[in-house]
Amino acid sequence: MLLRMTFAFALTLVLAFVAGAAAPVTTAQPPSPLVRVELISETASIRPGETFWVAIRQEITPGWHTYWGVNPGDAGEPTRIEWTLPAGVTAGEIAWPYPSRFPVGIAMSYGYENAVVLPIPMTVSGAAAPGTTLVLRGQVSWLVCAKICIPEEAPVALSIPVTAGAPRPDPRGASLIAAARRSLPVPSPWPASYAATPETVTLNVTTRELAPERVAEVWFYPSRWGAIAHAAPQRARIEPGRLTLEVERGQLAEAATTTLDGVLVVAERLDGGIARQAFALRAEPRPAANARAALWAVLLALAGGLVLNLMPCVLPVLSVKTLALVGHAGGRATLRRHGLVYTAGVLLSFAVVGGTLLALRAGGQAIGWGFQLQSPTVVILLAYVLFAVALSLSGVFIVSGRFAGAGHALAGRAGYTGSFFTGALATVAATPCTAPFMGAAVGYAVMQPWPIALLIFEALALGLALPFLLLTLVPGWRRFLPSPGPWMERLQQALAFPLYASVAWLVWVVSQQTGSSGVAAALGGLVLIGFAAWLYQASRGARLTWRRAATLAVAALALGAVGLGPLTSAMSSPPAAARADGWEPFTDARLAELRAAGKPVFVNVTAAWCLTCLVNERVALRSPAVAEALARRGVATLKADWTNRDPAITRVLGSFGRNGVPLYLLYPAGGSGAPAVLPQILSESAVVDALDKL
Amino acid sequence: MSELSRRAFLAASGLAVVARGSLVIPSPAWAAPKTGVAAPAFTASTTTGKAVSLADQRGKIVVLEWTNHECPYVLKHYETNNMQALQKEATGQGVVWLTIISSAPGTQGFVSAAEADQLTASRRAAPTSVLLDPTGAVGKMYGATNTPHMYVIDKAGTLMYAGAIDDRPTTRRSDVQGAQNYVREALQAVAAGQPVKTPVTRAYGCTVKYA
Repeated sequence: MLLRMTFAFALTLVLAFVAGAAAPVTTAQPPSPLVRVELISETASIRPGETFWVAIRQEITPGWHTYWGVNPGDAGEPTRIEWTLPAGVTAGEIAWPYPSRFPVGIAMSYGYENAVVLPIPMTVSGAAAPGTTLVLRGQVSWLVCAKICIPEEAPVALSIPVTAGAPRPDPRGASLIAAARRSLPVPSPWPASYAATPETVTLNVTTRELAPERVAEVWFYPSRWGAIAHAAPQRARIEPGRLTLEVERGQLAEAATTTLDGVLVVAERLDGGIARQAFALRAEPRPAANARAALWAVLLALAGGLVLNLMPCVLPVLSVKTLALVGHAGGRATLRRHGLVYTAGVLLSFAVVGGTLLALRAGGQAIGWGFQLQSPTVVILLAYVLFAVALSLSGVFIVSGRFAGAGHALAGRAGYTGSFFTGALATVAATPCTAPFMGAAVGYAVMQPWPIALLIFEALALGLALPFLLLTLVPGWRRFLPSPGPWMERLQQALAFPLYASVAWLVWVVSQQTGSSGVAAALGGLVLIGFAAWLYQASRGARLTWRRAATLAVAALALGAVGLGPLTSAMSSPPAAARADGWEPFTDARLAELRAAGKPVFVNVTAAWCLTCLVNERVALRSPAVAEALARRGVATLKADWTNRDPAITRVLGSFGRNGVPLYLLYPAGGSGAPAVLPQILSESAVVDALDKL
Repeated sequence: MSELSRRAFLAASGLAVVARGSLVIPSPAWAAPKTGVAAPAFTASTTTGKAVSLADQRGKIVVLEWTNHECPYVLKHYETNNMQALQKEATGQGVVWLTIISSAPGTQGFVSAAEADQLTASRRAAPTSVLLDPTGAVGKMYGATNTPHMYVIDKAGTLMYAGAIDDRPTTRRSDVQGAQNYVREALQAVAAGQPVKTPVTRAYGCTVKYA
């Protein structure tokens, strides 16, 4: 009551004033109320247990505006609704269409003019009885401003029958709400970052598919007050593939040190008109001039590289190399040289892989770490190489002539090439294994200028090379290795089996990428490799002509096997996306739909060739406790499968500062709010805890 | 690459940048003062015609309050006696409280000196002085965007707080009760010689009606 009286008082004052001599904006006396509200519904009836959409529609007197709920700007207050709902009906949060700007002196307001439709998801319980009519009531309050501001409020109500059949459409409501939905920001397809100085904030957006000459205007509406000065000009520079927006820094210093969320509205000139599109953007701070962040990324990369040594795909390769050290009795200098050559092999391979990645990205390709494994050809070739190494460990063929070979090869001059290629092999074998720390470092790297990016890749390489390098450089450390003996041969043979397992897994990856025809080709190639290995070894003691013929045959077999690789990718036809494991395939649209319905969503960004991902799925995501927690909280589960190249998923990764899998996102219920990013190594309890926090 | 062709290349790339262009969306530029540094110096006249300058207040804690008596957000704090109580509490402890009116003539909240004094009396307000800033010079110097917009300056003339009066950005009278009053917190911290815990907040209210 007091409230009403105060409104009346305020309104009287304002009207008295406006009616007075110095009318500030409108020549006519403002109508009362300045905003008419109504509650509309997308459907004319609802079905028990379903989500349906209603909306607050505001018709605003020309020249006046109401406010954006995410951030009203420097002044103002968003429209609100206080519901009085029948039992069994629950209301979600308002989904805010993107706003317009209203500069008022030195302040900037974000809001809507003329008319706006604010959609709200509603859920009706399964217990609602068909045949009854539900009455949704609410008190809507808002602030409406031109030069002056007036708080207004009004009751709204909507009667809607419950039916057993499919909901009947409400033509007017449906078309208004559909139009409003087109104005809701969609998740940004573009990776973004920002750099802050004490005076400015510069937003960097990697905009593919945006023609600079067509852009009429861009404006960034931050989700929070304080990071940027709302009223300051936004200097946009649009180049092919890149958009930078420089704006004065806001008053809240700490706001420009954490994630900057907001809506980027891009107005494009299309034939005969301007089309606006709003993207929900999330930019991580990119301290461009900040050496500390770069150093931190380098340290993370170094740590990630060290951990890579323990990964099942790398460990056997390196163990063999280490075994060679045990048996070695040669000079220190030779050893040291082997260590350095091996390190050079790793560094160079990483430079090649990292450089290729950066070059392809610069060319506009949406790819990330592990991209080479998205090609079935590369996966098959990797399987062949690991298979050949495994056969050699098993003793099917011996490269150096005599067994004990590894040690001899290491000591011998020719062995340097071997050391170099062990480094290259370790790099190649390491790709499918994402170690902890690596994701953040690589994600940071690809957003940096190339010299810093390469530095980070090389730090990763150095981490990988470091244990072996130290063993060769610091002779004292070799004391910790056991003394040589016949056990070495056993161990070497035993180490072949993790490699065979890796080969089996890679063939499974091929099956995911190409289907059964690809697997057939891959297996055929493996048989040829096996035959070539046997032939090579069997012909060792034979006559010269026979050996020559055999060598030719081995080469032909190997070439044939390699030739099968591209053949399989030619055959590739990705298998059906949907799998019957309760995880729906991810699309931007599906995520937006689920969020709009107010559901919490778990997004699992994974790939068949990512071992870490598979382990996480096995130990955490598929565990009964997690399944139970997901079900209990009604969490929708989406799986973004990056096994094959997929620009849409690369963009999702990019928007979280990542460049490789795995990535786990947990979106809260209610349609708004940033998702929690779960760690790259999951445990059952970590996932359950995260779900409990919802 | 020869020197000549390099230059040609640079020229060409420069042209390319120009051709790509740069979009500037014009908007009035202003810079809000930063907390932790000296508050901008100003001189303005009170309703009695006396000139008051910030420099003269050295040795005293100063509160600046931007107001517009017709703004619903200002009304919220005056009709609930929230603003007056804070003014009395502060001035009772020797704080200089300057209420500033930056509304331009012909806009909402603009008042003559006599009207301003009448408002102070009728509202039982207790500022040290009411300053008239019809040109908006002081307001823009402080980047005052809202009414109410509050600033706290310490005895050495350092700006210690800028922002809202409290954490409830509404016109609801009932929200005054139980709100976290940032100005009171800042005054207590400054009086105790401690850093202000929340030195900057988003001010809320009506926009300041500059010319």
